[in-house]
Amino acid sequence: MYKGREGQWAFLLHRLSGLAILAYLMLHVFSIGSVILGEEFYMRIHHTYDLWPFRVGLIFVTAGVVYHALNGLRIIVMDFAGAGVAYQRQMWYGVMALTLLATAYTAWVNIPRILGGY
Amino acid sequence: MIKARTFTDARAQAHTNAELNWWIFMRISGLILVFLVLGHIYMTFIQVSEADATYVAVVNKLSNPAWKFYDWLILSLALLHGANGARYSIEDYVRSRPDRAWIKGIFYTVIALLFAFGTVGLISI
Repeated sequence: MYKGREGQWAFLLHRLSGLAILAYLMLHVFSIGSVILGEEFYMRIHHTYDLWPFRVGLIFVTAGVVYHALNGLRIIVMDFAGAGVAYQRQMWYGVMALTLLATAYTAWVNIPRILGGY
Repeated sequence: MIKARTFTDARAQAHTNAELNWWIFMRISGLILVFLVLGHIYMTFIQVSEADATYVAVVNKLSNPAWKFYDWLILSLALLHGANGARYSIEDYVRSRPDRAWIKGIFYTVIALLFAFGTVGLISI
């Protein structure tokens, strides 16, 4: 692991969030795809995912996706614009700020639903 | 295009071209997925509750061919983008050649099965 300050953390978080999203995606394709296996099979999985630990987990999945998406845009800007490399550190703080903002909004919308059970 | 007279040369060239193509694919699919996936999360998790994703709701939504296509686009682009991303990690962190081979073999098989499962599901609903 190279010691590249913010760039190093951006890279590490991009990999970890990417692998976490892939793990979630594979479960998601299986659980939602199970509509073809009938209503009972689908609803049994759905009721499990309706338990509060999974629903809190979805807030973290959203945070991971927002970070991965915005940092991906930062990577594209770095790859295709010379100025992008010069401002990669500032852009990363922007990515982190927007990720925190989006996660806070997701939590604010979803925590009452989770507590209220709807 | 591969211009080689021996298998070794062809393999060397194909390897390089494939890597470049995957590199480009990651940027293009990533750019498209930003809109598709963030839109999907907003519409199915922020706007409505997770509790609303019942069997009836999913079947109703997917009766519209536009949503079928939207979801299939996410399915195929995200699985390919994710599989290639995981391949980068496997190649970086799994140091032994035989281990890499069987890990990738099992991993690609699971991804292919999931893609087939999801595609059949989207078409048949």
